[in-house]
Amino acid sequence: MHLILIAALLAQEIKVGGIFDLTGITSDVGKSFAQGVRDGVSWTNDNGGINGKKIKLVDVDYGYKIPEAVAAYKRMTGDDHVIMINGWGTGDTEGLKAQVNADKVPYISASFSGHLTDPTKTPYNFFVAPSYSDQLRAWLSWVKDDWKDKSRAPKVAFFYGDNAYGKSPIEAGRRFCKENGIELTDEEIVPGAFQDATSQLLNMKQKGADYAYINVTTTGVSTIIRDARKLGLATKFGSNPYGFGEALPAVAKDVAEGVTGVMPDVPWGENVPGMKKLEEFHKKNHPGDAHDTIYVRGWTYVLVWSEALKRADKSGQLTGDGVKAALETLKDFDLGGLAQPVTYTPTDHRPATRTAIYMVKGGKLVKQAEYDMPRKPEWLGL
Amino acid sequence: MRCGEFHTSYAADMAIFDTRRGRHALAVFLVALFTVPFFATSYWLDVLNRAAIAVIAAMGLNILTGFTGQISLGNAAFLAVGAYATAFLAGHGVPFLVACPLSGLIAAIAGMVFGIPSLRLKGLYLAMATLAAHFIVEFTAVHWESVTGGVAGISIPSPSIGPLHFGDDRRLFFLIVPAAIAHLWFAKNLFRTRVGKAFVAIRDQDISAEVMGVTVFRHKLLSFAVSSFYVGVAGSLLAYQARIISPENFPLALAIDYLGMIIIGGLGSVLGSVLGAVFLTLLPEFLRILTGALSGSYPQLIQLFTPLKLGVFGLTIVLFLVFEPDGLADLWRRTRNWFRLYPFSY
Repeated sequence: MHLILIAALLAQEIKVGGIFDLTGITSDVGKSFAQGVRDGVSWTNDNGGINGKKIKLVDVDYGYKIPEAVAAYKRMTGDDHVIMINGWGTGDTEGLKAQVNADKVPYISASFSGHLTDPTKTPYNFFVAPSYSDQLRAWLSWVKDDWKDKSRAPKVAFFYGDNAYGKSPIEAGRRFCKENGIELTDEEIVPGAFQDATSQLLNMKQKGADYAYINVTTTGVSTIIRDARKLGLATKFGSNPYGFGEALPAVAKDVAEGVTGVMPDVPWGENVPGMKKLEEFHKKNHPGDAHDTIYVRGWTYVLVWSEALKRADKSGQLTGDGVKAALETLKDFDLGGLAQPVTYTPTDHRPATRTAIYMVKGGKLVKQAEYDMPRKPEWLGL
Repeated sequence: MRCGEFHTSYAADMAIFDTRRGRHALAVFLVALFTVPFFATSYWLDVLNRAAIAVIAAMGLNILTGFTGQISLGNAAFLAVGAYATAFLAGHGVPFLVACPLSGLIAAIAGMVFGIPSLRLKGLYLAMATLAAHFIVEFTAVHWESVTGGVAGISIPSPSIGPLHFGDDRRLFFLIVPAAIAHLWFAKNLFRTRVGKAFVAIRDQDISAEVMGVTVFRHKLLSFAVSSFYVGVAGSLLAYQARIISPENFPLALAIDYLGMIIIGGLGSVLGSVLGAVFLTLLPEFLRILTGALSGSYPQLIQLFTPLKLGVFGLTIVLFLVFEPDGLADLWRRTRNWFRLYPFSY
C-alpha cells in the first residue's frame, strides 16, 4: 500500500539532470547560468509545472572537468534515471555525445558549439542560441560594416583558449574571413586560466591586427583587454556571449569601453515582455541579488525544454525519444524577447541564426546592430 | 584457544595465508563480491569499477615506491600512456585481450625509459626526474592530436571478448575486478621470489643489496617496468571504462592521489594498496552523499564540495602519517590479531 503511494508520488515528478560549473575555470559565468536554470525550474513548478507534474532538478558541480562530467552523467542516467540533462561546457558535451546517442538522453547544453547542430551526427544534442560559429560570423560581419578604410581589408586576430570551447568556432571563422575579404592575420592561444596575456598581445601587435575576437570567458577577456590597454594597443576587441555581458564593465571598468560582444540574450532588466516573470521572481525570492544576461540565458533554457516536456507529456511520450521529438516540433517558439525565437527540425538543430552585437558605452551595454546568418547547408555541423 | 602463531617450517613462514580461516574468509569475500553486480545500481558499479582500477594502479605504484623504495610522481603519466595506447589500438580494431596487455607493455617501456635516471638519482631528485615524465607525456597528449585527439579527447569502443560485449558497468565489473584480483595475486607472489626480495633489499639499503649480489640498476629498471605495466593496464581499463579520455583525465593531482592511496593503505603492503585505493575512491562519494543530504537545508554546500574533497584528502594524509604511519593495512592486522588472540595475546 505504501509502495503504491510512493510510486504514485514519484510518477508526479519529472527528473531532469543539471551539470553545472560552480568552481572550475568557467565558474565566473557558470554560477549565473546555474542560478538561472534553478530559478527557472522553481518558477515553472510554481506555475503549473509540467501539466501538473513537478520538475526535480538533480544538479551537480563538475568543476569544468570532463571526467567529472562523465561520472555525473553516469550517475544521473544510471541511478537517478533523469529524462534529459541540462549541461554546460563544450568539452564535456562533445565528449559525451556518443554516449548520449546510445542512451537516447536529450542533452541540452550551454555550449553553442556548431559541431552539435547536425542531427545526423548528434541527434540528441540541443542548445538555445545561434551557434558559436554563427556568432563569430555575425561579429565578423559587424567588423566589415565598421571598417571604413576601403583601401585595404580589415586585419583580424583570434584569441582562444586551448580547449574544445575555445577552438569550437575557429575553423568556421577562418573560412568566413577568406570568403568575405577579411584578412585573418593572427591566432593566439591562451591557457585555460591565465593572469597575463602580454606575450600573446605583443605577437598580435607585430601582425598589426585592427580587430580581435576573444573566445574565452569574462575573466579572461578582462585580463586581455587590461593588458592591451597597458601596451597601448589600438585594436578593437570583441567577444562571445560568455566573454561579454554586464560582468565585463563591472570587472574591467573603463578598460571595457568600446569592447563589442555577441549577445543572443537580452541584458538583465531589458524592457521585453518575457522579462516580467523574471523580475517578479527576483523581487519575491532574492531581491538583493544582482543578475546578468547569462542568468537570463539560464531561464531561456528552462523555458525551451519545459515546453518540450509539456508537449511530450501531452502526447504520453515522456521518454528521452519523446522529448527529442517534442523539441523538434518547436517552430519559432517565442521566448518573449529574452532571446530569438527557437526552431528545431529533425534535420537541423540550429535553434536560431539571428543575433545582436552590443558595445560597452559609458559602462552600459548598448545594442549596435543585428545580423542574421543564412542557414547554409554546408555550415550545418561546422 | 590461540595465543600466537608458531611456524615450524620455512614453507609455513612463507605461506600467504597464516591460517585456514583466512583462506576461507577470503573465499567468502570473493563470492560475496561477485554477487554485487546483481543488486547494485549502475552508478555504484561505476564507482566499484573505478575503485578496482585504482587498486591495480596503486598496487603498481606500491611495487615501485613501497617495495623498491623509488619515489615516482610519473604514475599519472604512465596511466595516460596505457590509456592512449588502448585508445589507439582499440580504435584500429585490436581486440581487448590483445590491446589491454599490449598497452601495459607500452607503458612498461615508457616506465623503463623514464626510470633510467634512477641509476644516478634518489629521493627528491628522482621525484623531480619522474615529474618531468609527467609533463612530457601531458604535452604529447595535448599536441599529438592525430593519435590522442588533443584537448577534445578521444573515444574508445566498448571492449568485447569473442561474442561477449562489455558495454556497461555491470558487465565491465566482470572484466575489471578479475583483472585486479589477478594483478594482486601476481604481486603477492612476486615478493616471495628472488626478484621481489631483491626489490625489498634495494629499498632497505641499496649498497648492502649490491654487496649481496643484487644487480641494483637492473632490478630498479625491472621494478619501474613491472610497476608501469600495472599502471598501464589500469590506464587501459580506465579508457575502456570511461569511454572517452582527454588530458584532463591524467592531472598531476592524480599522481598525488595514488601516492596518498599507498600512504593511507600502507607502503610495502599488497593489502594496503587495496584498502588505500578503495578508501580514497569511496571518500569523495561519501562526502558527496553527506553534502547532498545537508544541501537541502544549506544549498550553498554544493559549491563547497570540491574544495571540501581536497581539504579532507589533505587532512586524512596528515592524520595517517602522524597516527598510523603503516596505514590501514597495519590497522587491519592489529585489529585482526587482537580478536584472534583474545584474551591471551603475547
